[in-house]
Amino acid sequence: MEALKQALGSGRLVALWYDAPHLHYLVEGPEGSPLQEFQVEARGSFPSLAGEFPALDWFERELWEEHSLVPEGHPALKPLRNHCLPYPFERVEGLHEVPVGPVHAGIIEPGHFRFSVLGEKILHLELRLGYQHRGVERLFQGAGLERARLLAERAGGESVAHALAFCQAVEAALGLEVPPRARQLRRVLLELERVFGHLGHLAGLFTDIGYAYAATQVGKVRALLQGQLERLTGHRYGRNALTVGGVSFDLDPKTQLEVRGALSRLGLEAEAQLLSAFKQPMVLDRLRYVGAITPAQARWLGLVGPAARACGLGRDLRQDDGLYQPFTPVLRAGGDVLARAQVYLEEVRQGFRHLERFLTELPPGGGWVDEAGPSQEGELRTAFSRVEAGRGELFYWVRLQGRRVEQVKIVDPSFKNWRALELAVRGMGLPDFPLINKSFDLSYAGCDL
Amino acid sequence: MNPLWQTLRTGLLTRSLQNLFRLPAWAPGWPVLRPEGLSHTVRRELLELCPSVAFAEEGGEFRLDLAHCVLCGRCFQTFPQAVGELRGLEVAVTRREDLVQRVDLATGNFVDPGPPPPTRAELHLPTLAFREVSAGNTGLDDTEVALAGNPFHDMGRFGFTVVASPRHADALLVAGPVSQNMREALLRTYQATPEPKGVVAVGNEAVGGEVFAESPQVAGGVDRVLPVDVYVPGSPARPAAILHGLLLLSGRVQQMLVGGRRVRGKPEQSPKAS
Repeated sequence: MEALKQALGSGRLVALWYDAPHLHYLVEGPEGSPLQEFQVEARGSFPSLAGEFPALDWFERELWEEHSLVPEGHPALKPLRNHCLPYPFERVEGLHEVPVGPVHAGIIEPGHFRFSVLGEKILHLELRLGYQHRGVERLFQGAGLERARLLAERAGGESVAHALAFCQAVEAALGLEVPPRARQLRRVLLELERVFGHLGHLAGLFTDIGYAYAATQVGKVRALLQGQLERLTGHRYGRNALTVGGVSFDLDPKTQLEVRGALSRLGLEAEAQLLSAFKQPMVLDRLRYVGAITPAQARWLGLVGPAARACGLGRDLRQDDGLYQPFTPVLRAGGDVLARAQVYLEEVRQGFRHLERFLTELPPGGGWVDEAGPSQEGELRTAFSRVEAGRGELFYWVRLQGRRVEQVKIVDPSFKNWRALELAVRGMGLPDFPLINKSFDLSYAGCDL
Repeated sequence: MNPLWQTLRTGLLTRSLQNLFRLPAWAPGWPVLRPEGLSHTVRRELLELCPSVAFAEEGGEFRLDLAHCVLCGRCFQTFPQAVGELRGLEVAVTRREDLVQRVDLATGNFVDPGPPPPTRAELHLPTLAFREVSAGNTGLDDTEVALAGNPFHDMGRFGFTVVASPRHADALLVAGPVSQNMREALLRTYQATPEPKGVVAVGNEAVGGEVFAESPQVAGGVDRVLPVDVYVPGSPARPAAILHGLLLLSGRVQQMLVGGRRVRGKPEQSPKAS
């Protein structure tokens, strides 16, 4: 326990899951030191660490809800996704409360936000999510690998990243070696999804500040980019393209050349549009100093992905991926909406560069390895995997019995990043909220599972 | 880049009505059963092959539910003698049965569910305002509804808008299998919508739950909670298919699928921009 506390003090919690009768804490040390896994036996209850390390708060509430394990000494134990239990909101005496949601004014997913305001100023925000809870992790139990892959594609907002993380975890458990061509094609889809997502965040920000011209132009590039993803996989979001052991599509040289050409044209157009938009004083003035997160807060909440990199910290899992070398993560220092937007912008440019490289030198060979082999014996195997999705680090842990999934734990990046919104809006005006929310653009479904 | 020059150079992006419902050559279409190829072995293999359990055999009938199809195209690539491909995006229907193909195994013929009911005349309006409610969907159906308003699809040319409040809406677009936690919010949104009001179920999950159908945490389809006027299948439903559903609701196009199969011949009406 002391070693765990020490690791959490200097590092960051990647995931916390329960594989009866042990709790598994996966902690990443500072600056890319190796992952440490701690096991704590828990039957009925376990000592809570959320008071000391707020990043564990939602994880412990989740364990309480899913596995009836009581976190002893938890500072504010309340339901996370179970709406049958009463939910006590934090009330601030003398402040007016503004409830928003679950049905929002825009075309987005449902969630409830409870603001405590003094005039226009937000002094406190409490999130209540769980509206999208579909019981995804339970549906995995007993599913075959194909069906489980379908569920993974629908678990969160990023189909490719989820499918990739799931397939990698299963491949690690079964000891499958994915052919180099398939590994590279998977990265092509992952980067397409990331760029598609980031352009969506940016177009949304431009819409929210009333800059319709840039929103339309970025939206156009995004729609054409989606066409290229569909060209490769036959699906607008890259579903059904990944499979355990490889990929289920292949490229002929002509398509490869055409897609590469189309993407490099789109890359130039996106770059020109975005760079000129981010020179506009109107854009910079509206985004700067809004919704700032300090590096200390980011470390405290264990933020991942662009939200953490906009605070000048955090890592990018692509650093450790041999296919991406050389790779330098995009870092910004401000922690505000502008910093996050600039991280998106730079990662869009970076994504297009990687796409160009991946599609230029595609290794020959097959795209799929036969997954027969040692898996038929019905023995228990467990493994986990991590993928840098557009929104940050995505974690999958699987326990397989033969070729069936027995248990799975998904930690979507949004699950770790949602709390950042609560801190980012403090002291801001109520009308700034949509802008700040858009700058994180988190997945409700991935968090609620 | 000069915005004016860029705008002029971009030109017109909106897809013409002829191209709107066309599926790109590289996207797999919808499966259609071929009764003559459905031997016992093939049927068993199809049941085994489909990852999303779209096929079912029950009571002397072999069924294919398009709302459970995830469009991987594996069935018609593996068994072309038993499953054909239906290409096109005019797939919205007014009746759940019209997304299910049923083959009577004794006679080897399709079971005809009869002519579909007409859409409601009080919603045949030149403009319709929609409120989108996401009730347990992955987020992609929402994105697709938003993309139906982009310059390529341009729902505005048909007089369709998405409004912020249900009190300003003529119809609800509901995505997702309706999670238990969203049930009350969805019902209250429906109550807040003034009469006459329609409901469009957007995407497979909203039509029949798709892979979430078995979960106790979801209702397993919008029609278990609200009366549904139009069903739009798809995983997620494509913007053009959503537009077809909205045009169907407003009475400007005819339903193309009956009993899960395309009705023979071209429809008399084609969509008209208002």
